[in-house]
Amino acid sequence: MSAPKPELSPGDPVLVRHRTQITARLPLFLAAAVLAFFILAACFPTLLAPYDPLAINPTDAFSGPGTAHLLGTDESGRDIYSRIIHGARPSLLIGAAATAIGLGLALLLGTIAGFGGRWLDFGVGRILEVLFALPGLLLALVFIALAGPGVGTTVVAVGLTTAPGYARMIRAQIIALRTSAMVEAATVLGRSRTKILFTHILPNALAPIAVLGTLGLGQAVVWAASLSFLGLGAPPPTPEWGAMLSAGRTYLAIGWWMTFFPGLAIVLVAAASTVLSRALKTGGER
Amino acid sequence: MKNVRPLARRLFPALTVLTAALVLAGCSSPADSAPESGTDAGTPVIGGTMVYASGDAEPTCLDPHVGGNYPQALVASQFLETLYTKDAEGKLIPWLAEDSTVSEDGLTHTLTLRDGISFTDGTALDAAAVKANFEHLLDPKTSSSTGYLALGKIDSMKATETNTLELKLKTPDNSLLESFSMPWVAIESPTALKRSQEENCAAPVGTGPFKVESWKKQEAVNLIRNEDYVRPVADPNHEGTAYLDAITWRFIPEAATRYAALQAGEVQIIDNAQPDTIAAAAKNQAIEHLDAPRPGASNRIELNSSKAPFNDSKVREAFIHAVNVDAGIDSLFFGTAPRSHSPLSSVEPLGFSAPSLFDYDPTKAAELLDAAGWDERDGQGYRVKDGTRLSLTFPVSTSQSVPAEQSLFEQLQATAKESGIEIKINLLDLSSWYGKLAKNDYNLVSAPYTKVGPSVLSVLFHSDSTIPAPSGYFANLSQVKDPALDALLDTAGSTLDTAERQEKYAQAQKLVLEGHYLLPLYDQQNHFLYSSELLNVGATTAVASPVFFDTWLAK
Repeated sequence: MSAPKPELSPGDPVLVRHRTQITARLPLFLAAAVLAFFILAACFPTLLAPYDPLAINPTDAFSGPGTAHLLGTDESGRDIYSRIIHGARPSLLIGAAATAIGLGLALLLGTIAGFGGRWLDFGVGRILEVLFALPGLLLALVFIALAGPGVGTTVVAVGLTTAPGYARMIRAQIIALRTSAMVEAATVLGRSRTKILFTHILPNALAPIAVLGTLGLGQAVVWAASLSFLGLGAPPPTPEWGAMLSAGRTYLAIGWWMTFFPGLAIVLVAAASTVLSRALKTGGER
Repeated sequence: MKNVRPLARRLFPALTVLTAALVLAGCSSPADSAPESGTDAGTPVIGGTMVYASGDAEPTCLDPHVGGNYPQALVASQFLETLYTKDAEGKLIPWLAEDSTVSEDGLTHTLTLRDGISFTDGTALDAAAVKANFEHLLDPKTSSSTGYLALGKIDSMKATETNTLELKLKTPDNSLLESFSMPWVAIESPTALKRSQEENCAAPVGTGPFKVESWKKQEAVNLIRNEDYVRPVADPNHEGTAYLDAITWRFIPEAATRYAALQAGEVQIIDNAQPDTIAAAAKNQAIEHLDAPRPGASNRIELNSSKAPFNDSKVREAFIHAVNVDAGIDSLFFGTAPRSHSPLSSVEPLGFSAPSLFDYDPTKAAELLDAAGWDERDGQGYRVKDGTRLSLTFPVSTSQSVPAEQSLFEQLQATAKESGIEIKINLLDLSSWYGKLAKNDYNLVSAPYTKVGPSVLSVLFHSDSTIPAPSGYFANLSQVKDPALDALLDTAGSTLDTAERQEKYAQAQKLVLEGHYLLPLYDQQNHFLYSSELLNVGATTAVASPVFFDTWLAK
């Protein structure tokens, strides 16, 4: 048919629906853009940063945001913007590695508990309860106290701390799948338990894990920053967001930008990953 | 210039008289010379509670005999007094003691005490009381470290008369009276000392202008006026007791919160004021600044000479020329911390300074490193010798170095890198930091040391001080072991000839500076900010802790 396209008026339901879709998706686009920016910064920091993040220039210390230094300089005259860009790598890497460790450990524990039978479930359940009894950050601090501060320790500490929560969720997911009609059918057909686990249960449990992982990334970045803030993360002069926040705090009265912008970076990453994980979750449910 | 001379000559007699009058007026006591601020503020007001906010960790014991650190000295200076003290000109004067004499061989000190002074529990001050204090300090069960070291030369003591104490020394010690001026050797009521350590820690009893009323841990120490206070040295301008009714001694570790509390009028005085807030306060009419550098050692970085690469004096010298200290101090301390070029604090009269040794000179550093065999470079630009990178471990105690100092260390790290020297800064809590030192796991270290008088040099640089105390700590952190230096320090510490003492201490300082064992930074910073409603702040003890006997609160 070659009928002429009908003119759309601003109030047309088609357009309204389209617009609401865009408005509804705007946070998602923004979140994706923020994460893409920081991932780019983490991969190719020199592309985005105008200055060397470690280059000191005492005469230029405490300059406010402006044309020479977009986000100002710190107490040693280092460019805050360049440090935030270069700080994306340690911050995101710590977050990603910690999430991977946490999820990996959780997958193992969750699977054992959910699929290993009553006694294993009981055993793992009690271990998780003990871990839950301790506040998360405290658990991380205890681990750091035992193993000594550093990037590696921070990664493991945050991973260990987040693992129990994930493990519970994964266990619930696996139990739900184990009793599903699909698995019952496979059992009736005489498939082995291992085969059922790997062909039916784990692949179906993965989607929620992806959601958890995205959500966890933001959380892990915040935790890693908290530990660096306490001086337990990367040693100076590494441009790490938490450490920058802590250093800037001393000069809050005379240089708000030293604290504000690293803080903003942490908030943006955490918020973006939360928005993204929500979108993934609703997308998965649809 | 010609015109000036006759005028000066005419004025000279008048000036001499005036100076003499001023000196005489100033001699009698430290509190007599009121500070510049608030001198014309009129008649002192009696009453009111002053709130003091300390940035230090709350002491675990208020008795400075136990352990013996600066936070203890700060609070104890309000309720305990010492045998000797320093006047406003820095001269050592008797306080609870009236006089002392020393025998010709330097081995017998005779100490006379003042009459008519009592502790706040009613016990009288006498020779037996002082003896009980010294015994308390020397008793291992007290676990004193600072006071114990200060009295280390005492062999035996005897109260020969009610007010006369005779001390026999193992070897002559010309710094004994200086040691007596430190709050860690303050005199407490012997009756109170007989209580359990726990009780005495909670409320030590002294002769000071205030006394401990209560201590709510994690909250505040409450001090109230000692209504029976008798000032050991009479003050013609201020008879009787302190003006303030009470002092509330709080602990606010966070620097920004502490300053905000002062601005809000919640507290009237804060210590550990940070350079940026001091600079900000200078523009604020309502806030005053008291700068009281601590005696003893300057704040410095020690270079560990006991192991590679600093066992080579060329490398030590190269390091000193490779780091740009001045630029960092200028930008980070806002003019509040003048650069030091001496192992001793600027308030020490016997300090020896050698500015020419501490130029920032990367060319010279490069020459020295080349000559020392560190002439190759690795991929990251660091110098290498025999396959080893020129890398220095620098453990930094976050509780002993303020943020500005930590930033300074980062700047030194950055400038050293330009000369191919790697510095690994390791931010540690106090106990991990002590652990690193005990394991000799450091090349650079910065550790403050407060002591009255130049004898701190023996503590820091005598080879005896490389031997760890039972606690594992040793103070000779550059680990200098030089028999010539030991001999100088021994003579300087025991001679009864003041000229010889001065000369030997100067030689000893020259030796450690020219040996490149340390990099002096600045005096141990001791800044207080206080509300302009608080008047007559400025009198301090010999260790530069403020005393609030004269202070009053305008309402």
